[in-house]
Amino acid sequence: MTNRTPQRMRRDGRAALIFLAPFLIIYCVFLIFPLFKAVFISFHDWELAGGYREWIGFFNYEDLWYDDYFWKALGNTMRFAAMAVPSMTILALLLALGLHGHGRVRAVLRSVFFSSSVFSVTVVTLVWQMVLSPDRGLIAPIFRSMGMEPINFLGSVEWAMPSLVIATLWWGVGLPMALFLAALGQIPDELYEAAELDHASRWSTLRYITLPGIRHTVLLVLVLQIVGQFQIFGQAQLMTKGGPANTTLTLVQYIYNTGFRDWQVGYATTIALALFVVMAGFSMLQLWLGRKGDDQ
Amino acid sequence: MQITRKTALAASVALTTLTAAMPAAATDITLYRFFGDCEGEFGGVTDLNEAYGECGIITVLTNKFNAENEIGANVITQTVDWGAYYDLLSATYSTGDMPDVAVMHASQLVNFTDRNLMTPLGNKLMEAGVDVDDWADAARNNVTNNGEIYALPFDIHAILFHVNVGLMKEAGFVNEDGSVRLPSSPEELILMGKEFEEKTGQNYIAIESQSSEGMAVRMFDAFVWQQGGDVLSADGKEATIDSPEGLNAATLIKQMYDEGLTDSGLDYGGAEQAFIGGRAGILVNGTWGVNNYATQAENGAELQEYTALDFPTLYEQPATFSNSHSWTIPMDESRTPEEEEAAIAFLKFLDDNNFAWAMTGHLPVHTSVIESEEFAALPHRSDFAATPSMARGIPAVKNERGIYDAMISEFTAMWLAGTSPEDAVAGMQSGVERILRRNNR
Repeated sequence: MTNRTPQRMRRDGRAALIFLAPFLIIYCVFLIFPLFKAVFISFHDWELAGGYREWIGFFNYEDLWYDDYFWKALGNTMRFAAMAVPSMTILALLLALGLHGHGRVRAVLRSVFFSSSVFSVTVVTLVWQMVLSPDRGLIAPIFRSMGMEPINFLGSVEWAMPSLVIATLWWGVGLPMALFLAALGQIPDELYEAAELDHASRWSTLRYITLPGIRHTVLLVLVLQIVGQFQIFGQAQLMTKGGPANTTLTLVQYIYNTGFRDWQVGYATTIALALFVVMAGFSMLQLWLGRKGDDQ
Repeated sequence: MQITRKTALAASVALTTLTAAMPAAATDITLYRFFGDCEGEFGGVTDLNEAYGECGIITVLTNKFNAENEIGANVITQTVDWGAYYDLLSATYSTGDMPDVAVMHASQLVNFTDRNLMTPLGNKLMEAGVDVDDWADAARNNVTNNGEIYALPFDIHAILFHVNVGLMKEAGFVNEDGSVRLPSSPEELILMGKEFEEKTGQNYIAIESQSSEGMAVRMFDAFVWQQGGDVLSADGKEATIDSPEGLNAATLIKQMYDEGLTDSGLDYGGAEQAFIGGRAGILVNGTWGVNNYATQAENGAELQEYTALDFPTLYEQPATFSNSHSWTIPMDESRTPEEEEAAIAFLKFLDDNNFAWAMTGHLPVHTSVIESEEFAALPHRSDFAATPSMARGIPAVKNERGIYDAMISEFTAMWLAGTSPEDAVAGMQSGVERILRRNNR
């Protein structure tokens, strides 16, 4: 403490800056700069190919406000997130609770449940298309054996979105499960021993020891899931192409179509910024709620 | 030091002598295309008699060009999945990595030519010896913008009725001369469809009905044209879908699904399987399937006696949906004259082999090939001989893919989400207007 002279502090500051520099440079080049560039592009009619750029002020934002497809895609994306985020979190938590602890079977099952995460979205969607196809799919014979006509999952307005959710759960449950497993390992064994001495029921143990012990991880998983699931693209693009009748058209898919199919990069960027605002809003809300819990 | 210099000198002399003795270095050019990848089957094949199907024929043509051309050109093919093709091709303009030759649907060409992204080819092709005056008018118009030719047309492909003649006999829809009877009015389509199902227990029609290919939209377009209407104004600036003709066409197609004439659960592969498996009398699909289905029928598929017929005229005038594959040279300032020469030579070679491509089922673009005996001798071609004169596309318009996708999602909602024909045409109209609003700015 006695050494904290102004020179020393300046030197420390410089050293810190040098250590932080690689990160800061990457952060600025790949995040801060593109963000501001995106805002700049969004004020243009900016085409993907051919170099056509024209300053159009707030036209893209005005267009966005009156764009039915945007609102539909936003609604679909929120519907997807509302289904996928809680179910993913609960499923990952249940798996982690079941697979936490010692034993060879648990270790093997942990790897099994995590393994689907290593596949690319192309493989995952191909697998699920094969499973769900009404005439050649894996589950079609099950329907037929019960004397029922197989449901056309991906072609039905009611089932298409839940089908995407199920494929996403199967694909993505590994990482949150691993996070929960790590968090469960952090809870001191003494707490469980004390609970056992007090003859606490399993439910009470879960409610008063386990869940409070991992609440920061729950919060982390929720925020990661919200950010991740709001950006759903591959599953919808490859399994349903946004159909049937636009019921699974998601925001990122709409951004992709606008930018790459219609070449309107300016407008696509505007939609992307809107998505950024929505995602940031939800994540902030989640963090705020979590912090409020801490204060209590 | 001296030794090093001497060695270097010797080495450079040797290198120069070697280079001079070698034939001209190969000029590599890149080819961007869809049609699939069949290197496994046709990788080393240069004999066109062994090739079949779109993928096989284009692969063998490319191999043959690489083996036989005398200017040292070497085409390196990059196959792109059909669904992502135009997205990737467009993106190459941002990365500066444009291919030297790219396949393109005629309907997409205006997107590129309007922005000066394609090399004008008229004079270059003529200098290379391509007889552009022998191209059929429709094909030539497809690749011409403001009087300039921007691509080499390779085919006209159109929607046909692929027919299971065996099932048609069972239903009593075959005339004494052996010709298949198709409906000639909207009412007859529904009546014949019901009768067919009663007699055979199978669906009358199989058609891709999901949200990917938009086969039903192609059918819709054809029915609108048959009534004298169109989906866009001739200048491509206004949508004209929400019209009496549009409503008639939508109502008929909706009725087709409601009456159970077709299975709304079929995707592209499912519709093909239903037809090949003998579970549908008619498959609505393009000319590209003819070769394939004929082969399947010969090889003992459930499909008994296959034929392909002109899309039926249910209203006043014949019309069917069509498009055209063409070959372009994307504009690229950094392309060397040798590379351009190689690209033009490849295009000329493809043009010379227009007949080979017609073996897929596509219609050739050279009138001399269309009128040739060898073309007439190809199986089933005489059964859809009227198709070239019926073939139509929507007016040239930028963002045709966006327009098409908007139509698909609103139109398929009729059987996938239960919307009414009125709502479907209104939805298509407003979806397309939105894209045109941007185009017209």
